[in-house]
Amino acid sequence: MKKECVAMLLAGGQGSRLYVLTGDMAKPAVPFGGKYRIIDFPLSNCTNSGIDTVGVLTQYRPLELNGYIGSGQPWDLDGSSGGVHILPPYQGSKGGTWYKGTANAIYQNIGFIDMYDPEYVVILSGDHIYKMDYSKMVARHKEANAACTISVMEVPWAEAPRFGIMSVNDDDMITEFAEKPKEPKSNLASMGIYVFSWKALRQYLTEDEADPGSENDFGKNIIPNMLNNQERMAAYRFDGYWKDVGTLESLWDANMDMLAPESGLDLRDQSWPIYARSVSAPPAFLGAGSRVTHSAMNRGSVLEGTVENSVLSPNVTVGEGAAVRYSVLFPGVVVEPGAVVEYAILGENCRIGRDCHVGGTPENTPEGWGLTVLAPQCELPEGRAVKAGIMLNSKGEEVSK
Amino acid sequence: MKGLHGIIFAYERRGDLQELGSIRSSASIPFGGRFRAVDFALSNLVNAGATDVGIILHGHYQSLLDHLGTGKDWDLSRKRGGLRLLPPFNYRGDWGAMPYRGHIEAMTAVRSYLEGIRQDYVVMMDGDLVANLPVQEIYESHVKSGADITVVCANDSFMTEDGTYFQVGEGGRITEVFIHPHTPRGLRGLGTYIVSKKLLLELVDDCAAKDQISWRADVLQARRDTLKIQSYIWKGYAAQIRSVQEYYDRSMQLLDPAIRADLFNARRPIRAKNADLSSTYVGADGRCVNSLFGDGCSIEGVVENSILFPGVTVESGAVVRNCVIFKECVIRKDAQLSYIIADKDVEVLEGRTLMGHATYPIVLSKGSKV
Repeated sequence: MKKECVAMLLAGGQGSRLYVLTGDMAKPAVPFGGKYRIIDFPLSNCTNSGIDTVGVLTQYRPLELNGYIGSGQPWDLDGSSGGVHILPPYQGSKGGTWYKGTANAIYQNIGFIDMYDPEYVVILSGDHIYKMDYSKMVARHKEANAACTISVMEVPWAEAPRFGIMSVNDDDMITEFAEKPKEPKSNLASMGIYVFSWKALRQYLTEDEADPGSENDFGKNIIPNMLNNQERMAAYRFDGYWKDVGTLESLWDANMDMLAPESGLDLRDQSWPIYARSVSAPPAFLGAGSRVTHSAMNRGSVLEGTVENSVLSPNVTVGEGAAVRYSVLFPGVVVEPGAVVEYAILGENCRIGRDCHVGGTPENTPEGWGLTVLAPQCELPEGRAVKAGIMLNSKGEEVSK
Repeated sequence: MKGLHGIIFAYERRGDLQELGSIRSSASIPFGGRFRAVDFALSNLVNAGATDVGIILHGHYQSLLDHLGTGKDWDLSRKRGGLRLLPPFNYRGDWGAMPYRGHIEAMTAVRSYLEGIRQDYVVMMDGDLVANLPVQEIYESHVKSGADITVVCANDSFMTEDGTYFQVGEGGRITEVFIHPHTPRGLRGLGTYIVSKKLLLELVDDCAAKDQISWRADVLQARRDTLKIQSYIWKGYAAQIRSVQEYYDRSMQLLDPAIRADLFNARRPIRAKNADLSSTYVGADGRCVNSLFGDGCSIEGVVENSILFPGVTVESGAVVRNCVIFKECVIRKDAQLSYIIADKDVEVLEGRTLMGHATYPIVLSKGSKV
């Protein structure tokens, strides 16, 4: 079955910079924005962009992610041709290996892509929050007659050294690429989203695999090799909301952005819906003593206390007299009466005992403030105080970031 | 084969539902902030392991068809069995010249479907029943008691439109049946029956041959002495959505945590169609108390003692008290509503004031602009 365009979603990241928060799941399965998981964004973008064939490359702790994706039905990716496919590393007759890098992950699935004989392959990352029409990027790729098109966005010059920076000519064709340059020549940052002509990519992947010195990585190997060989490399400018949520701080930031549509992250906009697999639960209930402001909440939740500037996933309970401020609560979290949670991310099914105090405001913690993070299933006994910046594992023991 | 087959009756027209019922069958009335009435019967059956469910329809069933789709939301989209929609053959665009006059007439119309039922037992349910019945347990009690028919009764004599009431004798056997009485006597029937497929077919054929149309009058009442008709008494919440007042009162009961715990028992989840909406957002000036919220609402005003379905917008300064607001309604700035049931897509313009009363809730019909 020939397809013009196939998407490959790199979802194998360990999410080590999210530390304990990921628990037993892969990073793309981490909850976001109340009802979503991070992977809902690229999957929904694919469907909304008319891409109906998506390979999801998984590697670490795939159970939760595989279960979540299932048949792909919530994203309309369960068609009879194409659809969503989970692609773990596999053993062939000559043995098999772990995915060694992003490029190697695609290399190992050349057979999958060849089945669809596509003209173009879109490479996506599983840890970005954004709404993007990939068909426009593919159109730009065709128009520029490029071998590779990289989506870029302007970032403040001061932040440019944190990104992969592209220099472009007058036609927005890429002339130079520098990974985290100390003295950036441009402020166009790569968003880690690529469109390749499959013929060209297939050849570069094969050559890269044959190079024993290569790290088999798109940013470090494939892109620089293509530039060196004078391939036509186009930049595609994106000016919407985009955030890499690979760290605890950025994950928290992006959740807070969701509360303020002026940030550019408007999830209520029905013209580009983000789909999710949802849970069966009754509507959210706000009790007689509840005081909920500037917050998002979801089904199955029962809120009797104060909730301010926070994002609450489904099935969250906040007891009477409890207060949750500037926090992100994952599904099933229980905050018992009288407890206070501030500037924290609480993993799935955490239980905060009565009168506990978790986290602190930056004002009250002048020395070394940070987000407080609890691993999934962590249970705090009555009255326990957890200071700002502390991270606890599922047994409630302190671990370092 | 072993197991249960479900038949849901969704053909009845309830005039007392006013505008809420004129555009849709009572089985597809939105209830409880994200459900339709039929979700309860469907979930009750599926939670008891039923894999095959037929729904008997008549007139204005577009809304119900849209809601049910292939039945996948209840795991009823199957290769064999699954959801079976049974529309009438004489549909004429409206309620039809002849809606079925009784369950027997309705089942006679779909006799070939009845014959094809694979399971030994059939659970008959009304599409307008809102309850979380332990159907598996009722089935076990039916088999154990050796009854011909088991009828499910609520533990009350609450007055409901077109109700059925049962007098229960020794050992739980039904001794008398009252149909549509002015004053309720006995226990309120929940329109839920268990009967073997074999007996059901016999009864339908026998009644058809005698030009009898009513399950309640011609089977339950007429044959209460010759058949062993046993009761199963359900002590939990059970609403029958048949009039605006009943709809309103039963909706408001959901604000009681004990009733929610019973109806939304997590061991027997009520499944519903999913709308792809974002989280519900309460703004900086929003004030929400003692209320239920579906997904994707946006609240900048005041909401008290109310039930909001998905995608409702309440702008700043607006006050919504003691209301039931359906999907995608918009309550503009400074509008004031109390004791209102607003159907889908209603828009209440800036500064408008609308008030009903607890004993006379006002219905705003679908899509209206106030």
